[in-house]
Amino acid sequence: MTRLRLILPLLALAALVAGVPIQPAVAQEPYPSRPISLVVPFPPGGVADLTARPVAAAVEKALKQPVGVVNKTGAAGAVGMQFVATSKPDGYTLLLALSSISIIPEADKLFGRPPAFTVDQFAPVALISADPTILAVRTESAWKTAKEFIEDAKKRPNQISYSSSGIYGTLHMAMELLSHGAGIKLRHVPYAGAGPALTALLGGHVDALASGPSVVLPQIKAGKLRALAGWGDKRVASLPDIPTFKELGYPEAEFYIWAGLFAPKGTPEPVLAKLREAARAGVADPEFKAAMDRLQTPIAFKQGEEFRKFFEADARRLADGVRKVGRVEQK
Amino acid sequence: MAETLQNLALGFSVALQPSVLLYAFVGCVIGTLVGVLPGVGPLAGISLLLPATFGLTATNAIVMLAGIYYGAMYGGSTTSILMRIPGEAASVMTCIDGYAMARKGRAGAALAIAAIGSFVAGTVSVIALMLLAPPLASFALRFGPPEYFALLLLGLLVLAYMSGGSMAKSLVMAVLGLLLGMVGIDQMSGYFRFAYGLVELGDGLGVVPIAVGLFGIAEVLATAGQEVPPTVLKPKLRELLPSRAEWRDSVMPIGRGTGLGFLIGIIPGSAHIISSFVSYAVERRLSRHPEEFGKGAVAGVAGPESANNSATSGAFVPMLALGVPSGPIPAVMLAALMVHGVSPGPLLITQQPELFWGFIASMYVGNLMLLALNLPMVGIFVNVLRIPYSLLYPSIIMFCVVGVYAVNGSVVDVWIALIMGALGYILRKLGFETAPIVLGAVLAPMIELALRQSLAMSDGRYSIFVSRPISGTLLAFGAALVLFNLVSWVVRGLDWRRRIPLDEKGENL
Amino acid sequence: MLTTDRIGGSALCLLALFVMWESRALPLGTLRHPGPGYFPVLLAALLLILGALVWAVGGGTPHVAGVGWGEARHAVVILAVSAFIGLSLERFGYRLTMLAALLFLVWLVERRSLLAAAAFAFALSFGSYYLFDTLLRVPLPRGSFGI
Repeated sequence: MTRLRLILPLLALAALVAGVPIQPAVAQEPYPSRPISLVVPFPPGGVADLTARPVAAAVEKALKQPVGVVNKTGAAGAVGMQFVATSKPDGYTLLLALSSISIIPEADKLFGRPPAFTVDQFAPVALISADPTILAVRTESAWKTAKEFIEDAKKRPNQISYSSSGIYGTLHMAMELLSHGAGIKLRHVPYAGAGPALTALLGGHVDALASGPSVVLPQIKAGKLRALAGWGDKRVASLPDIPTFKELGYPEAEFYIWAGLFAPKGTPEPVLAKLREAARAGVADPEFKAAMDRLQTPIAFKQGEEFRKFFEADARRLADGVRKVGRVEQK
Repeated sequence: MAETLQNLALGFSVALQPSVLLYAFVGCVIGTLVGVLPGVGPLAGISLLLPATFGLTATNAIVMLAGIYYGAMYGGSTTSILMRIPGEAASVMTCIDGYAMARKGRAGAALAIAAIGSFVAGTVSVIALMLLAPPLASFALRFGPPEYFALLLLGLLVLAYMSGGSMAKSLVMAVLGLLLGMVGIDQMSGYFRFAYGLVELGDGLGVVPIAVGLFGIAEVLATAGQEVPPTVLKPKLRELLPSRAEWRDSVMPIGRGTGLGFLIGIIPGSAHIISSFVSYAVERRLSRHPEEFGKGAVAGVAGPESANNSATSGAFVPMLALGVPSGPIPAVMLAALMVHGVSPGPLLITQQPELFWGFIASMYVGNLMLLALNLPMVGIFVNVLRIPYSLLYPSIIMFCVVGVYAVNGSVVDVWIALIMGALGYILRKLGFETAPIVLGAVLAPMIELALRQSLAMSDGRYSIFVSRPISGTLLAFGAALVLFNLVSWVVRGLDWRRRIPLDEKGENL
Repeated sequence: MLTTDRIGGSALCLLALFVMWESRALPLGTLRHPGPGYFPVLLAALLLILGALVWAVGGGTPHVAGVGWGEARHAVVILAVSAFIGLSLERFGYRLTMLAALLFLVWLVERRSLLAAAAFAFALSFGSYYLFDTLLRVPLPRGSFGI
């Protein structure tokens, strides 16, 4: 084959590639007129994914356009979140984010790297659920109440270990908030995800775990784990005897693994309004309620100003927490 | 025992219902398709079809998902053998000897042995699952970071047995693989390593892009421009099935692969790809003709393929007995259960006997179905090799791109595969083996995490590795292995190993 | 002197040095609490040693040119097309990219007739899109034109 035959077409292809941008041109139609993507930055089968699917179905009913769940995983959610932060603010790309959305940019700042995205790049639409985290230990362990646990931790600093889903992850930050609030020092063993963190506790390799209730409830019912206290504002419905850390006198230990709907900043206000309406209608839908019941996830709907206040307070708490944790390696 | 049989009877009564059979069949077919397509592995298949199962009953859903998982394991060997592209990461070892067998005209035999080995392994491991699930699960839970570290260290030793040819060259490739595994977010400290601002690299380069690139794309690059197109001996119908000698050679590897794979599969978190690597190494070590490995040794296909399949059943042990996800795929299946209102946990077996036993019974049925699906298809698949290579290789590239893209929907993965392809091509020309790179890339993040977690647990004391019984035993075993081999290495000399490379050098294929 | 092992060994040594350089920002930690830089530096050191070993012992292997690079030009073209695929997947979408790439490979590189090549390329690119995106629900990129 002669060089020329191939070089010319190759150059033509290269020119084509160079000439066309990746972002498409703008279209003007009433919203919504095309299918919508709900980006879930976590792998299928996880808490975020399982929450997103009923949400997508409910919003689809309200907006009368197909809403498809797209899993864009990676970097503890950063990949999917960055993707939505940089996509066109036309209301066709939405994000279902967990509370880690406030943590990741702080962690980036901590390490001095340009943040993958910032919280300002999103326009909050609505809060869907807010799972209070609970503190779980094995039934064989000596601590029967949260008080005993904290006192023991005070007597033996850095001896009691706990697992988490990853450093600066939601389960880690929950424990850190408690540690700072109660003045105790615990030993942190990060794992790659909530599943391995639970396995580690069950296997006796760590002493405690902060976890969303849906994951540990079956184990508690089976008598393998014991819940000591919760990080929520109120007690968990399925565990009415378990006090909250607030009740026990540690108000800084407030943490929720919440799931919220976001759109890229700059999405036109009428579109946002329609989305909020759709979210409100969706959350009231009986099928949605049934789905969330099966998942043991309580619905905690907030939108507009209420959500923004909740979100900002939560973000501030988490940012503080991340800064206090600092860079682990420098200790 | 009587109770088990009773339960099994219950299970079969569930599994043989027409609707359950139908969903098992649908799952197996989809799984085979998914497995046959390069790069699109069982995880992708299950995740994508998870939403489709929301409308089904819990039993049907889980039976279908398990069918997809198994089917993908069966189907993954097909592209490995026919085109040297790993159907999923765990089929990498089959690429080596399976493809060599295909080149010798024994593609049908290789496919048949892979199918039968998978069937035997699948069935036997389901029996083990059925009888031993709860006690095995409790044992598996005792594997913490120190035990993982010891186990994975043993896995690294396996590398020594994978190599033919220069030990230094295989080791250096393994170290290269280990370094590639360092890319990504450091789980213990939160630092991004070698990611150059690309968030997509946060979880590492990815085993699928690396494997597909190093094997599939590199193969295309090396073969496409050949002066004489690769000649494929077109087998007659009779020659499609394995010969008596080949059957004999595959019996023990299948047995060993089954046991090994199941044990490795039970341990939560361990990658199944390791089971096929370990099986390959064991077979090579125990074989009377180790020089055949790399050139089409039957044991090199039978062992890893069986190990693969029984690791799949092994992975269900912690999932069903404890409600604990032992990897991403069981995690998705647990999620499917949760969505249907079945709360997974230690009480699952007792509270939902129809589900558990129906699931077990449908796995028997599924294995049978897959064997029935795959064996006759051997003839069809072999005909793929008749397609002129000039048309075949562009299709291969296309499938590789789709497979790699499908994992995360990310073009970055496609680029990684392409760069690995170029690297694999150059390494082949320079006479280096590429399989150790894949093993290294898989093991590196796991070993490092296990070591640092162990040290975090013990606050920096290395004694934790010896004070815990399981890890102490594993390490002692490893040390004994190393000593034994050093001695025999000195005694026997390196002669025969130097003469037999794992992979062909150059282009005389 | 320019034998395959020598080139391989020296390339790996260079890579090892590059990795060590790139790890300079990562804290090493201590032996009791290894930091994020510990393992990369350790492995890079190991790579350096092994690479040097391969280099040292590699005098006996065949000369680089003697290995036979007949298919190299072909390989380079395939790589160029693959690079095009990588760049165009999200600009033009899967179907158009694959159509162009397959057409290029089969018609221009493999010298088959335009009609046959076009039919093949069209069938394969659109057919695989249907199989994956529609039937198996693997989302494949649609590109700026929405195709």
